[in-house]
Amino acid sequence: MEKLDIIEKLATIFRTVFKKESLIITEDLTANDVEGWDSLTHMLLIAEIENVFSIKFKLKELNKMKNVGDMVAIISSKL
Amino acid sequence: MIFTSFNFLIFFPLLLIFYFITPFRFRWLTLLCASYFFYLNIKPIFALITIGVTISTYIFTRLIDNVKDDSQKKRLMVINIILILLPLFFFKYYSNINNGIIGLLESFSIRWPLPDIKLFLPIGISFYTFMAIGYTVDVYNEEIEAEKNLGILALFISFFPLILSGPIERAKNMLPQFREQKKFDYNVAAQGFKLMLWGYFLKLVVADRVGIYVDAIYNNIGQHNGTTLLFASLLYPFQVYADLGGYSLIAIGTAKVLGINVMFNFNRPFFSTSIAEFWRRWHISLITWLTDYVYTPLAFHFRTLRIWGIVLALMITFFISGIWHGANLTFIVWGLMQGFFLSLEALTSNTKTKIEDKFKLKEKSLYILVSCIITYVIFASSQILGRATSINDAFTVFRKIATSSGHLFIGELQQLVYGVLAVGFLIVIEFRQEFFTKNQDPLKFNKWYFEHLGYALLVILILLVGVFDGSQFIYFQF
Repeated sequence: MEKLDIIEKLATIFRTVFKKESLIITEDLTANDVEGWDSLTHMLLIAEIENVFSIKFKLKELNKMKNVGDMVAIISSKL
Repeated sequence: MIFTSFNFLIFFPLLLIFYFITPFRFRWLTLLCASYFFYLNIKPIFALITIGVTISTYIFTRLIDNVKDDSQKKRLMVINIILILLPLFFFKYYSNINNGIIGLLESFSIRWPLPDIKLFLPIGISFYTFMAIGYTVDVYNEEIEAEKNLGILALFISFFPLILSGPIERAKNMLPQFREQKKFDYNVAAQGFKLMLWGYFLKLVVADRVGIYVDAIYNNIGQHNGTTLLFASLLYPFQVYADLGGYSLIAIGTAKVLGINVMFNFNRPFFSTSIAEFWRRWHISLITWLTDYVYTPLAFHFRTLRIWGIVLALMITFFISGIWHGANLTFIVWGLMQGFFLSLEALTSNTKTKIEDKFKLKEKSLYILVSCIITYVIFASSQILGRATSINDAFTVFRKIATSSGHLFIGELQQLVYGVLAVGFLIVIEFRQEFFTKNQDPLKFNKWYFEHLGYALLVILILLVGVFDGSQFIYFQF
């Protein structure tokens, strides 16, 4: 899957989890930029990503996700 | 040695001179010696545990870096965490477990003479143990490389501004700073001294003045009516805040004068509009530590349960936090209460956000004020469990507040007036910081002479109104 496809799929997930239709996803996006993206919603996001992409993360990988770009890289390594 | 002791007033200037004349290469050594001197001054034998924790952590983290296999790395991490937790468990819970066993046996009419040892909790043990655990996990997670210089790791674990009560720092922030070559910077040092002064004000004036009144009431719950208990319970969060917050600022300021940046521990928590926000602003170093090393692994483990997995992880995390504060029912209920309120917020947050957006409530100052007050009252009521000595006492307080009224107990008028004025002063200063200056410097003015005047007045206030009876900091008991 191309990077752009992953980002597009992620955008849909983000919009559902954070309940913001207008949310625009870029690679530099971090938790600080999105209202409501905290340690509680983060895990909902992770579970949803795993579900949609049919992948499983490791805890170690979670710690390495500092922005959406890192997330995309880890997802694409599992597809 | 503690920050409010006379010894510290001699120790710190002397250290500054030694520190800044030491060549850069050996500064860490000066700090390490100073840190052990500082700690040995309290009770020399306790330093043995610190050394043990340091050596165990050093060996295991080096091994983690050197083995290839992930499951082996994991095993090494777990072994070190268990090893360094043993002394903490032993000193913290020995008497609880002992009394529990004796009580249990007695209920079966068996008298078994277990040695009833009253153990002193080695001061600061929780804080440096937590730092060592965090470091071990970070090495396992490849967030940082294992430190090769045992001396620098020893300094991280024993760094004197932090060893007694935190902030619970991270190796990633601290280790590189111990190697940086920093010249003495007047502005940075002045900033550090300002934070220290504000910290001393919080501790000696606010916390200890308020403490005199709160202690008088809580040591005699049976004698006081609901009005008085309500008033004391509403004051108590300010005492805890000024105590630990004041301690933290002195620690942060001390480190800053030495050119070392330490994370802030509080961010004006009483201006929070929700419990979740409150816990992002209160005892930040502990909460982020719990988030990273307890909550996240748990929530990750339960993630398929979705929102209920998060609720479960929150409840377990705050249960652990409660047990850490004290192995009594009061603290366990305290922890579960926090978990309950946070879960409730998480479950209702979507609806709440919708209503807030619809009526643009977040822009209305009345809504913000009411939200802050509700958050404060919820926290203050949970703190009744933190302050009461037993669950029965806590229930008595709740019952009396709900049922009995009457005149407010004044006691010594002077004490109460000083306490209330100090709290009022704190609120005014923080209100200005929160909504206007948005600066960590509490007495920030555009004109330098206002600032100097402000800090001069602060010194005078500390000397005139401060309590100098050598009282301990609340968090030393944890």
